[in-house]
Amino acid sequence: MANVRGAVHKPKLYKSVIEDVINEVRELFLDEGVDEQVLLELKTLWENKLLQSKAVEGFHTEEQAALQAAAQQQQQQQQQVQVQQVQQVQHVTQQAQAQQVILPPQQQQAPQQQVIVQDPKILQHMNATGMSAAATAATLALPTGVTPYQQLITSQGQILQVVRAANGAQYIIQQPQQQILLQQQMQPGGVQAPVIQQVLAPLQGGIPQQAGVIIQPQQIVLASGNKVQGSTQVMQAMAQQQQQQPAQAAAAQVQQVQQLQQAQGAAAPQAQQQAQAQQPPMMLQVDGAGDTSSEEDEDEEEEYDEDEEEEKDKDGGEDGQVEEEPLNSGDDVSDEEDQELFDTENVVVCQYDKIHRSKNKWKFHLKDGIMNLNGKDYVFSKAIGDAEW
Amino acid sequence: MAYQLYRNTTLGNSLQESLDELIQTQQITPQLALQVLLQFDKAINTALANRVRNRVNFRGSLNTYRFCDNVWTFVLNDVEFREVTDLVKVDKVKIVACDGKSESTQNKSDKWSVTQTPQISVCL
Repeated sequence: MANVRGAVHKPKLYKSVIEDVINEVRELFLDEGVDEQVLLELKTLWENKLLQSKAVEGFHTEEQAALQAAAQQQQQQQQQVQVQQVQQVQHVTQQAQAQQVILPPQQQQAPQQQVIVQDPKILQHMNATGMSAAATAATLALPTGVTPYQQLITSQGQILQVVRAANGAQYIIQQPQQQILLQQQMQPGGVQAPVIQQVLAPLQGGIPQQAGVIIQPQQIVLASGNKVQGSTQVMQAMAQQQQQQPAQAAAAQVQQVQQLQQAQGAAAPQAQQQAQAQQPPMMLQVDGAGDTSSEEDEDEEEEYDEDEEEEKDKDGGEDGQVEEEPLNSGDDVSDEEDQELFDTENVVVCQYDKIHRSKNKWKFHLKDGIMNLNGKDYVFSKAIGDAEW
Repeated sequence: MAYQLYRNTTLGNSLQESLDELIQTQQITPQLALQVLLQFDKAINTALANRVRNRVNFRGSLNTYRFCDNVWTFVLNDVEFREVTDLVKVDKVKIVACDGKSESTQNKSDKWSVTQTPQISVCL
């Protein structure tokens, strides 16, 4: 190849390197039993980061855009799949199955992680919104919510899908007679459950008014104890609903979710409290959650508060010790200058053929190098330099 | 085995970050990620040796030099990098160079290998 500018060649060079690596690694991935989808995701992540770094001129631009869009969709679909998977356990309708088939297999691999990631955001959101279950129910204008969740699903054959919106907040929207996705808020299982039920209940009648309703996460289940279990929990809760007698949709869901939470050892006393409070069947509670009708709930609340206080005390003790240490560290002679000298951003990584010195004149013969200068990447096959020390 | 030298480049770092993300979400194992990086080392070494054919000259003042474990590390100031058409100036640049003669030495952790001619060895 003739002398070509290193800067121009870079995109092709990098592209070819990426292709080579991905192809070589494909076998490794298959041997490990890792899906091809993950390999593609690796490639996408890799190329995206390169684009973001702006060290290389844009390449794969159209493909990148398509891949990014596909990646987002895949992520959303993954969550949907999570929901669907659980639901299918109970009621597998043909339509549901068909939808699952369409969805990428990636769902199996990272469902919970996504849930986990989103949970903190959701928790914050939940705390911020402060809507109670009753408020939500009122908003949705639920009928005397008698129909249990399961029936809602089967009768309509709809599938609840969870979608993660860009900002991490999810909403549940279910459209009647359409098995399209509901955007569900990724919340700890309990929160999702009531929302779902509430949405489903009115939908049973195919009421179009519900189609556009966006439900925000409810406080029915407290976030603090319930993180992570997320949609899988909810789904499991829904799955278990089959065994429950018809009751309020929200109550049943919350109850099941709570059972799940207990089983998983992440009980949120307040959630239970609320669920239990809502248990009285046939009546739609509109005066808000947080009933204190049962003594057990009060005790659990007190225990929970005590734990918090203990943790706070511990943190206070540690802070006191930390404050003392910096006093001594000021005695050191600053070594940072040496560190800064070697902490440059312009880096050349290469191999040397010959390094020569005469008195204080240095000559460098370098080869096969990648340089990052002023944020931009360059490559060279040979480099010759002079410097005086 | 190729040099792991090139992992600390834009290309290498973005690959490592991507692999870390996949490990975080448990889509791949750390072992697999390591295999990927080893494969990357081979690919980048081959690509640089075969697909790049250009020369660069540079001139500057040497601030520090270090030769340890057969690896040269220089810090130059006020450097001009000149290619046929390009000129790039930087205030400070760090050059890390592994031995280009014997590919048998893998990564930098090869302390006990007998080097060729004795060179100035300043291990700070």
